Amino acid sequence: MALIQNTKCECGHQNPVGTVLCEACGKPLDEELAASDSVLEMRYDGMARRSQKPHPNLIDRIWNFFSSVRVAVWLILITLVAAALGTIFPQESAFVNLTDPAAYYRENYGTAGAIYHALGLSRTFESWWFITLLVMIGASLVICSLDRVLPLYRALTRQQVRKHPQFITRQQVVYVGPVPGDAEEWTARFAEILRRKRYKVRTEGTALLAEKNRFSRWGPYVIHIGLIVFLLAVLMRGVIPGWYMDEYVGLDDGEIEQIPRTNYFVKSLGFRIDFYSDEELPEHLKGQLRVKQFTTKAVLYECVAYCDDATRDPELREVASHDIRVNSPLSYKGLRLYQYDFAETPRLISVRPTLIDKRTGRSYGPFELPMRDPPLTYSVGPFTLELKDSFPEFGLDENGEPVTLSREPNAPAFVFVIKGPGLPEEGVPYLYFPREADRQRFGQDRINGAAAEMFDIRVMSMEDVEFSTYTSYLNVRVDRGMPYVWTGAAITMIGLVMGIYWNHRRIWLRIDDGVLSLGAHTNKNRFGLRAEVAAALAKAGIEVDAKALDNRRKET
Amino acid sequence: MTDWLQISSNAVIVAFFLYCFSFIAYAVAVGGSRFSNREPEVHRKRWGNIGLWLAAAGWAAHLVYFFARWAGAGHIPVSNLYEFLMALGIAMMLAFFVIRFAYRHPLLGAFALPLTIIIVAYASVFPSEVQPLVPALNSIWLRLHVTTAVLGEAFFAVGFTAALILILRVTDFSRTDKAGRRARFWAEFTLVVIVIVIGFLVAVFGFRAAGYHAEFRQETVTVDARGNVIEQESTVEYGLPPIFKPYNSETVSMDPFLGMTEPLFETPSWMNGVNAGRKWNTVVWSVIVGLLLYGLLRLIIRKPLARAIQPALDGIDPDDLDEISYRAIAIGFPLFTLGALVFAMIWAQIAWSRFWGWDPKEVWALITWLFYSAYLHLRLSRGWHGIRSAWLAVIGFLIVMFTLIGVNLLIAGLHSYAGVS
Amino acid sequence: MRRHKSVQYLILAVMLLIGGYAVGRSFASSGDVLRPGDKPPSFRLADLQGEAHTLEEYAGNPLILNFWGTFCPPCREEMPALQQQYEAWKDEGLQVVGINLSEDRHRVENFIRRIGVSFPILLDTNRRTERAFGLREYPTTYFIDANGVIRQIVSGPLTIEEIDERVKSLLGSA
Repeated sequence: MALIQNTKCECGHQNPVGTVLCEACGKPLDEELAASDSVLEMRYDGMARRSQKPHPNLIDRIWNFFSSVRVAVWLILITLVAAALGTIFPQESAFVNLTDPAAYYRENYGTAGAIYHALGLSRTFESWWFITLLVMIGASLVICSLDRVLPLYRALTRQQVRKHPQFITRQQVVYVGPVPGDAEEWTARFAEILRRKRYKVRTEGTALLAEKNRFSRWGPYVIHIGLIVFLLAVLMRGVIPGWYMDEYVGLDDGEIEQIPRTNYFVKSLGFRIDFYSDEELPEHLKGQLRVKQFTTKAVLYECVAYCDDATRDPELREVASHDIRVNSPLSYKGLRLYQYDFAETPRLISVRPTLIDKRTGRSYGPFELPMRDPPLTYSVGPFTLELKDSFPEFGLDENGEPVTLSREPNAPAFVFVIKGPGLPEEGVPYLYFPREADRQRFGQDRINGAAAEMFDIRVMSMEDVEFSTYTSYLNVRVDRGMPYVWTGAAITMIGLVMGIYWNHRRIWLRIDDGVLSLGAHTNKNRFGLRAEVAAALAKAGIEVDAKALDNRRKET
Repeated sequence: MTDWLQISSNAVIVAFFLYCFSFIAYAVAVGGSRFSNREPEVHRKRWGNIGLWLAAAGWAAHLVYFFARWAGAGHIPVSNLYEFLMALGIAMMLAFFVIRFAYRHPLLGAFALPLTIIIVAYASVFPSEVQPLVPALNSIWLRLHVTTAVLGEAFFAVGFTAALILILRVTDFSRTDKAGRRARFWAEFTLVVIVIVIGFLVAVFGFRAAGYHAEFRQETVTVDARGNVIEQESTVEYGLPPIFKPYNSETVSMDPFLGMTEPLFETPSWMNGVNAGRKWNTVVWSVIVGLLLYGLLRLIIRKPLARAIQPALDGIDPDDLDEISYRAIAIGFPLFTLGALVFAMIWAQIAWSRFWGWDPKEVWALITWLFYSAYLHLRLSRGWHGIRSAWLAVIGFLIVMFTLIGVNLLIAGLHSYAGVS
Repeated sequence: MRRHKSVQYLILAVMLLIGGYAVGRSFASSGDVLRPGDKPPSFRLADLQGEAHTLEEYAGNPLILNFWGTFCPPCREEMPALQQQYEAWKDEGLQVVGINLSEDRHRVENFIRRIGVSFPILLDTNRRTERAFGLREYPTTYFIDANGVIRQIVSGPLTIEEIDERVKSLLGSA
């Protein structure tokens, strides 16, 4: 583009630098273009874009870079390739607990895995360069749109009815030929035909401009606005405190846990797996166990007092309850609890054992013994049991000393001192394993020695055992950005439908000395426009084959 | 329930044969005009209409399959790869009808039907038994997600079809310069790839009909996220003679084939997807059978396939093909966006608590979307019409197929459907 | 045209800001794991007598914060070493606090009595504090200077010498 360009059109209109087709009459301004007879490019109706300015400075250059569709396409393609690379091996984020990623990739995927990790591709989607690509796409969306939407708006709102003959005869769809009868009358008749096809028609003597579905031109910009809203919403989730949370809670049946970093507690009333019944299964699968649904009966509590006070129990108030299933989370004030996973972890919650005095044969109790935070004394009949120590998972260390191997009640053991009638002042120590298997494995009676001759503590029936079979893992999410994410997606969809399923059609014509010049333009679906123009002309007494209207055919 | 499923599986067979007959009618329409004593235009119209009616009848049978299976299984049949590909076939026919009637193009079916036939045949490679839904798949959003996405992809497929015709139509066989040779090579190469896909189907169904079976015991060693070494022994069954046996495996049993009683090679260790050995062996067989088929065709017609097809396409206007291809893709794009991205995000938000998790299948859906949005942007620029844009449509369709099938077979993720072999 | 120019600059500036932030965030360490140089998260926990203590109470003097449990053998092993160093340095202002990993109170009491630990022991509940610190392994010991900044984080058991060395550097820097 020449820097010094005569931008004044022969119709007298002064155009800005960069204008291709005169803003008023549509005559090609470039002399070379005016001399040829190719089909005109109708992008933004030949208006100058903002980025087409003489003497660009640095800021202009940045602006021009992002305003280019070519750059946008490159950005899209680079992002596409980067994303594809990110799927070769699993991403690190796919693992909940990856302690040594480098070793993991080396050992599972060999040298390729090691290189993959070293290049940072195992964290592609969190990497600075991938985020930079997304940011650049965002910038391109904004600037491309701004650079084009204003000139386009101006062009479409200030359309002149009478166009230059060159402008008309160099459209995609063109007809030139004699008009039957009176020119003005014919124009009026043709205008009426087009109006019936839902065109908005303006006439100026024997010149006519008909237009429909202009709104579809705004489709692309609406799409871009939607995408920007979407990207910003995703970004905001990470910025605004309290907008986003992603935590996991593991719950045994009956257990209550605080949801990390919140004031809420969640309790599981039980986890259940439902299987398909035989009637629901097809022939070849009958008799097999197929999971139909996972359910955690959950109750959500809000802490109302003593929440951060570790010295006393918090005061809780029930706020919601729900059977959490896959595809059906518990939802309360933006907090959502999803069924995430489960593990089969049979565990005792509490037992109600009976104390048997072997010397008299009489039994006392039962008494309640919870596995977590058990009370320190128990009155059972005439006896008092003092809890001296407890071991959630009983074991012996290298010195043969009893220790606990974990804090989970996997193999609980309790050391009592039994005091009461006929016993020494300091009492009789007694080690108790609630689980029969542990009792056998560790030899409870052997350890207790003489005390085992005097007493037995055991659970008399299964009704006195409360246990949990499963640990249910819930994913707790807060995502206050979601309404904006969905808004962005909805705007994008509206833009897509606007821009693609409708098309902007315009028809210009003028009659000079009994000769009709008609040109028509659309942004999509030339086929449909061709047929429509041919049909309209036929009604107005000009029979012409739709294909013969296509201007490109003359080109080649 | 069983009755419905019986009706359903019979309907598939009916649909398949009607599609084949329809394709034959279209082939006569395209290729036979020179041998007919009628006017070429009349001949085309007549046989094109016969093809269209047969295709419509086939589609009706295909719909019977769909709804009978729905009734029989109790859930919409889009939950495993077999059902999914069948749904894709149905959607492709729908997209074909839409475009066919919008443009009244008589010969589009000659290329759209073989593609549908391949998809339907390919679906039958996978186990067709009805599977009960796993909990995560039991959601209305999943159904919306799959059906809408499949419809969008079907339009991309029709766009691909028109693009392929365009490529075959405009490839200039008289040019001898470098660009001309390259254009010819790629046109022919595309056809070879299609023949290899057919080779795959021939190999799988041929050996399945012959009841071929081989079995291996494979030992795999993996290291989990905590660094523990896990050794696993698994049985791998082959339906094709093992040119490549699984890595680190022993033969349990193997039917002899053409004097071959032992596997010839071992699958390299770096191919370590699920059942990599079997997949690799299948790929090798497909290429062998496909190339044999191609060689046979060349022997019969004695010139490149593209060159043999081209004269039949003479009467088709390249500009119309370009427009059809572009329009089909443009129509598919919003549907694809809605189905493969928006509905998928809504479902993911409900089922997995996050609307986006960079799961391989999600990423590939995004890649497909990015590619087609680049395509739509390029259509705005000068010089990206016609043959260049047609090649983009071909590449786009390759990406679609990789997203639909390749990701499931090569990359494991949340979408690894039940029954993928 | 002037007005257009300033609008253009404004748009570019806003985009640079938002984009820069988004990219910058990708560099920030993800997750809640503490690193040297961070300030530890605040807590309010009960001691064995049932009295509440907060992190802020220990400000002004160097602090060793040790997370331990009776179920973890290396924790049990290093306890005497911590006790010994506490006695050696407490007059110089060193504070040692042991945070128990959410076990039952009587278990903690038994263990403390047996070893003879005299530095304060606080009881975590429901793994809350442990999560806030982003603990991955037990035991984990935080060496915090008088300004309340974490100087070193050690996972695994410590010997007397190792503690000694670190305490000297903590006191020297104060």
